[in-house]
Amino acid sequence: MMKTLQRLYILLLLPALTLLAAGCTDEPDFKDTYYGNFDALAQIIDTRYCFLEEKGIDWGKVTAAYRAQITEDMDIVEFFLLCSAMLDELKDGHVNLSSEFSTSYYRKWWSEYPQDFNLRTLQEYYLGFNYFQTSGILYSVLPENVGYMYYPSFSSGIGELNLDYVMALLYNCDALIIDIRNNGGGLLTNVGVLVSRFIDSDTTGGYVVHKTGPGHSDFSEPYEIVYHPADEYRIRWVDRKPVYVLTNRACFSAANDFVAVMKTLPNVRIVGARTGGGGGMPFSSELPNGWSIRFSACPMLAPDGSVTENGIDPSDGYECHTTAEELASGHDAILDFALAKANEASGKDD
Amino acid sequence: MTLKIRLLLIAVVCAFTAQNIMAQEYSGQAFAEADPSAAIERPVIGSYRIELGRRIDYSSYLSPFSYRGTNFALSGFWTKALPCNPRHLAMHFEGRVNFGNLLNPAQTARELDFHAQLQWGLQWQKRLPDHWLLGVGGNVGLYGGALYLPRNGNNPVTAQFAVGVGANAYASRLIRIKKLPILIADRLTLPLLGGFFCQDYGEPYYEIYLGNHRGLAHFGWPGNRFGIDNLLSVTLDLGRTAMEVGYRFSMQNEHANHLTTRIFNHAFVIGVIPGGLGIKTGRKNIVTPLY
Repeated sequence: MMKTLQRLYILLLLPALTLLAAGCTDEPDFKDTYYGNFDALAQIIDTRYCFLEEKGIDWGKVTAAYRAQITEDMDIVEFFLLCSAMLDELKDGHVNLSSEFSTSYYRKWWSEYPQDFNLRTLQEYYLGFNYFQTSGILYSVLPENVGYMYYPSFSSGIGELNLDYVMALLYNCDALIIDIRNNGGGLLTNVGVLVSRFIDSDTTGGYVVHKTGPGHSDFSEPYEIVYHPADEYRIRWVDRKPVYVLTNRACFSAANDFVAVMKTLPNVRIVGARTGGGGGMPFSSELPNGWSIRFSACPMLAPDGSVTENGIDPSDGYECHTTAEELASGHDAILDFALAKANEASGKDD
Repeated sequence: MTLKIRLLLIAVVCAFTAQNIMAQEYSGQAFAEADPSAAIERPVIGSYRIELGRRIDYSSYLSPFSYRGTNFALSGFWTKALPCNPRHLAMHFEGRVNFGNLLNPAQTARELDFHAQLQWGLQWQKRLPDHWLLGVGGNVGLYGGALYLPRNGNNPVTAQFAVGVGANAYASRLIRIKKLPILIADRLTLPLLGGFFCQDYGEPYYEIYLGNHRGLAHFGWPGNRFGIDNLLSVTLDLGRTAMEVGYRFSMQNEHANHLTTRIFNHAFVIGVIPGGLGIKTGRKNIVTPLY
């Protein structure tokens, strides 16, 4: 009898060990209620958002104020708007709460500033509805031999061969204007592709930092982002002829990073308005009810180590704006300013 | 129950069991009487399995919540007695690929899970009365895969890679119902020491792509990388082939850089062993590490 019990014990031993090992979890326990969803959202931002300290936000105070406004009889839309309003306190265009019926979006980073751009004005009065277009880039040669390219989104993949054709057509121009106004960002890899045509050696494009823990000041050492020049057989703009990058407040995220690196090049001037920022690479997470939350998680620093979250100024002496009236009448003052500077640089302004 | 208490309990149970095993006596081969004049046969016994079950994945890098869904796996297991001491020493090799398809608790996002693993192990075995076989040993293993959450932008993947050594244990009993030999077995594998990959708490893969490889490799021990793989199976020796059905529970928990990745897997296993176990075909001098 004793032997039988011993053997039974041995046969049952291994599965028993397995169950013992599978004992516990440390997964947070947020319920799918208004309070549970709110607390999950508050904790995600508290532990993973990267600019709380930089922006001087007392997140505990903010969440306490908004949590007190939750009522059991509020409907789901009201709850969504309450959460969205709380997220707006971060003043960050990279923060979105996405539900089945809407996506929150903090717009004041651009809506409270002049637009400084009108695509129709550009197409009609400067390009005459006659331009080339490839890889999301509109390009042409403007009067007085100034090359012009408009790149509205870094989400549009740039093919190396396509870019060769763009650069080939513009190669003999006396100056080049790269217009990225209204470019809301996209893929950082596209930044590298474009920048590679304007450098002839490895160039520091900035730094990336990430959080190392849930604390508001838990950050890694900055890691250098190095852009490499395009291959020798590619067509590059490295003969030091001037380049003007046109910006407005709606330049955000990857476009902001593009401006940060281009500004450091000796033959490049940033013309127009301060960019919109968006210097935090966004991560995503979710709430118990399935809503997704996107937030800035990794600060991107400029080549001089400064935070780019609040935007990048134009080059000294190159800030300018254009009014809605000017644009409506067919005049783009920012583009005109860049053209004047280009002509001045090539000695055609007499 | 904390991890330390669990480990302590496991150690106590293992120690008690080892004492039990050592107290038993060896009683010879399975059903057939060995022929002393014939050479010992050491065939490779291979089992080819399909596994279907339920999977629960949790990666705090991707989401604060577990994803649940189905798991499909293909695996192969090969074992053979070693020539130096065929009745006591055996080796085995196992390969497995898993594919999981999971949803978040609100069922608004889908996660895909792909993993592959290879293991090679040695085992010391002891045959006990009444057709019992017990074995313990060690193994080396390679494990890699990823949890992929397409909804996430710059943090869509938790990549997993580990290499290391572990322990394994095996218990089986051969019985016969009418004329059909049936092998009831349980095989347990535990990773113990090794290295594993884990990115930093908020580190994007873009930064790793740029070349920042600092702090990605971690020394793994049961305190930060605990895993268990258990297969309870019943094998019917049909003659020229054998059929295996079973239940696999596997669990893996990694914790580093304030990140936790955990995978639970419950699977129904069905397998086939070409050539069978050699019992019903009456191969008298066969020595296998299974019974």
